[in-house]
This record gives sequence, structure tokens and C-alpha cells, in this order.
Amino acid sequence: MSDLNKLYKKTVLEHNRNPRNYGVPESWTHHSEGLNAVCGDLVHVYLTISEDCLQAVHYAGESCAISMASASLMTEFSTGMSVETWQKKFKLFKQLMDKNNDLQEIGGLGEINTLSTVKKFPSRIKSATLCWYAMAAAIDGIPNATTEN
Amino acid sequence: MLREQFPGLQQTVHGKPLVYLDNAATAQRPQRVLDAIMDYYLHHNANIHRGVHSLSESATALYEQARQSLARLLNAPSDKNLIFVRGCTEGVNLVAQTFVRSRIQAGDEILISHLEHHSNIVPWQILCEQTGAVLKVIPMNDQGELQLDQLDQLLTEKTRFMSVVHVSNALGTINPVKKMIAMAHDKGVPVLVDGAQAMPHLPVDVQDLDCDFYTVSGHKMYGPTGSGVLFGKAEHLEAMPPYHGGGEMISKVTFESTVYNAVPAKFEAGTPHIAGGIGLGAAAEFMMETGMSQIADRDQQLRIYAEQALSEVPGLKMVGTAVEKSPVFSFNIDGIHAHDIGTIIDHCGVAIRTGHHCTMPIFQYFGLAGSCRASLAFYNTEQEVDVLVESLLKAKAMFE
Repeated sequence: MSDLNKLYKKTVLEHNRNPRNYGVPESWTHHSEGLNAVCGDLVHVYLTISEDCLQAVHYAGESCAISMASASLMTEFSTGMSVETWQKKFKLFKQLMDKNNDLQEIGGLGEINTLSTVKKFPSRIKSATLCWYAMAAAIDGIPNATTEN
Repeated sequence: MLREQFPGLQQTVHGKPLVYLDNAATAQRPQRVLDAIMDYYLHHNANIHRGVHSLSESATALYEQARQSLARLLNAPSDKNLIFVRGCTEGVNLVAQTFVRSRIQAGDEILISHLEHHSNIVPWQILCEQTGAVLKVIPMNDQGELQLDQLDQLLTEKTRFMSVVHVSNALGTINPVKKMIAMAHDKGVPVLVDGAQAMPHLPVDVQDLDCDFYTVSGHKMYGPTGSGVLFGKAEHLEAMPPYHGGGEMISKVTFESTVYNAVPAKFEAGTPHIAGGIGLGAAAEFMMETGMSQIADRDQQLRIYAEQALSEVPGLKMVGTAVEKSPVFSFNIDGIHAHDIGTIIDHCGVAIRTGHHCTMPIFQYFGLAGSCRASLAFYNTEQEVDVLVESLLKAKAMFE
């Protein structure tokens, strides 16, 4: 399978076509906007956190397939997780997406590992990571996030 | 064959022949430009305008010959009308901070257009912040053409300067700048034309246009990056204060005062990009030998062919459909983000630009985050347009 086909593998295309937890929910407790102005990628992350648990994770916005699929996968992966666990997983995700290593998968990230192929396309890594940084910002009460700097 | 003179075009990307359609971002360079740069560094490497030794004299001669070549390309009255700059961005900033700043005050107006590149917006916003002047914008229509019926009323008694793009980098629209300059001059308003995207495609005659300033970027016109020239009318250049202070722009310095050098040296502080200027001169010679009207004719052939070919891609929506256009195509395809298209067709060897192309206000007008942009040059071929179309169909198939 070519790198291109690996990048746009079925999982990514399917999540892009049928995004999970997409749209602005009726209510939320935490929100952040992720914007990569140069790329034009925009993603809003909406969280409902109660008793230190991510009860609901939604996202909305307009972005490329990589960014949309990453956000869709992230919402499925994160819903029901404790905030503390999520923050540990976020650290693992950052390791997975670090272009300075060849890691293709990390235990505990499940289907998220499918995004590691993006490392072969350095200019697209920031698309895949934007929603994650936006979610981390939302948890920390920071209204904006970017992965372009 | 002209194309064979461009070594950058003779390579493969992902195992496919390169189809280079990102010329509006930067063009490829002909061998003679590369040779001119190498020749300077190998055989004439010395600083200019200051040595008495042979190498300095030959380097100075080459640099000044380049200025003469550019003067002929632009049909400037004299090579002394041309200031070497790093590109159009520096050309615009120079005019804003010298000519315009010295004659503007709070409440005065500067007029630009909706089609400007950020480099012809931000320098004026900075000047407005510094002086309290107001920035006004000539609007455009849904085709991406300027609404010139509104120009007359936008040129008010407060208008002190107009700065407009000749050809839009994002949409390819060719603006009727000669007519716009005449309208501005009727109201006593001087005009700068940003020629970054015009010079690679059209004959430019600064005397016929009667523009006060005209600026071109070297790397868009088959020359080196970091090079360019600003044309200015002699009376303006004489009257303008200097831009940067330093060596070369002076004739006498004491701790009490400085006497500035004559034009154009007054605006060329410090050791310039000598190899860049010489390479740009070689690019100008290449363009004149090829013939600007031949280049323009070939561009229009390609534009017509590509317009038709792209119209047959299902779901493709063109952004910018001006009647007068250079071979620049901004488009989106239903259901596929521009960045995904850019990545996928790169694997077919096709290089295009995706995003907002440093023209965010244009895409705000159309309610879009950006587009795919295929920008052609005279060395592109109809076969390459066919490869672009095939690659777009492949991208569509992946997403279906």
C-alpha cells in the first residue's frame, strides 16, 4: 500500500464522511477553538465534564479530511474517560505524532494509532493534532489553540 | 524548446514527471539565470561601488548592466528610475514609508483594492496606524473583477495615494491599471502598481501606463528569490527621503550630519543581493529574447485550454471568473478539502498551492477558507493540464 493510500485509509475516509459526535451540542461545560490560520483549519471542541469525567465530547468546524477524521476518532476515544486518564493519553498521542521518531503505534491509543501515517507528510501533522490541542485547551479553560507555532 | 532551458522542470516527484503549476508562488529559473549567479560567485565575487580592484569593477559593471536590462524590460526612461529591492513586499513598504509617509496626515485616505495580496494591504495599515490616515478599498464583484464604476467616487479630495495590484495572485484577474491610473491622476492622486504577477505574463511599459511607481519580484519572473526592482518617476525619487540608512546611500558622513547619495543609491543602503540582482538581469534578458508578447500569447493559449479542461471535472467550482485573466485557476471541489487535494495530486507529480494564497479578504468575500490554485507559466504544456485533470479525478475517486 502506498503512503498516500495509508494516509487516506478507510478509517480516515469513513470518519471524514460520517463524523462522530459532530455538531454544536445543546450544552457544554468547556469549549475551545482550534485555528490554524495559515492552513484554514478550524475546529471547535465542546466538552461536558462532570465529576472529573468527560461525559460528552463534540466537535464542529471546517477542515481537511485528516483534521476531521482525527477529531472524530478523538471524540469516540475520549468519551467516558476521566480527565486525568485523557491527559495521560494526550501525552502518548503527542509522542505518537512526533516526527522525530518512527513510532507507528503506542499501546493504549487503540484506533488513534491509525493517524501515525501522517508523519510521512510533515506539512499535514498540524492538521491531525489541532483538535487534540484544542481539547487540551478546553480542559484547561483556554479559549483558543493552534498547532502552527 | 524553451522548456528545456529550465532544469527545475526536468525532475520527478514520487516517481512521476514533475508538473509544476505553482508558478504564482514562485517560478522556475532558466539555466542562464543560474549560470549568471554562478558566474558572479566564481569569477567576479567582490563588493560593488566601492573597490578599485578589477573584481569590484567587473562586479559593479554586471550589477549595473542588470539594472539597465530591467529598465529596458519595463521601458523605464532611465536605469536611474530603478531601485533594487528584495521583492514587491519591500517595494511597497519603501513607497509607503518614504514617498507617502512624507505627504500624509491624519484623516487623509489611501486607496487599495479588494484583490490585493497581504503585502499590499499590511504596509498601508501600518502607515495608517502611524499617521491616522484611513484605508479605503475598491470593491470587487462575484467574478473577482474590481467595480470600477465606484472608483471615481472613492477618489476623494482626501485621497493621497492609490496602490493597486496589476494581476491578482489568487484569482488571476488582470486589472485595467492604465485606465485606473488615468482616473487617479485626474484627481491628482499618485499610483503604485504591484506587478508581481503581471511581469511574468504581460508586457509592462511603465511610461505607457504613466504609473508613479511599479514594483516587480524577481522570483516570480524566473529570477532569483530575494530580488526585485521598484520603478519610480524621477521627480518622486529625487524628492523622497531615504528608506534605510547605511553604507552606499551616503555621499558624506560626519557625526553632525549626512549628505545622501544620488538616486538610486540613496535607496540602496548596505551591500545588496549582488548575485540576485545579476541573476534578475539575466531573467530580464531571457524574457526580452523570448519576447513578452510571445509569452503573453502562449499564456492565453494555456489559459483557454485549462479553463475548458477544468470545467469538465465534475463538482469543480472556479473562484474568480474575470473576463481578463492570466492562467491562474482558483477552485474547490465539492466534498474534498483543498489540502487533501494538494496532498493527493502531489503523488501524481502535480504541484499546486492550497490555502488562502495570502489574500484572506478575497476568500472572506466568497465565504471560503481557501482554495486550490493551479498557476501556469508559458513553459507549461497542454499535456500537463491533462495530468492535472486526471489527478483531480483520482482525488475525487478516493473520496467517493
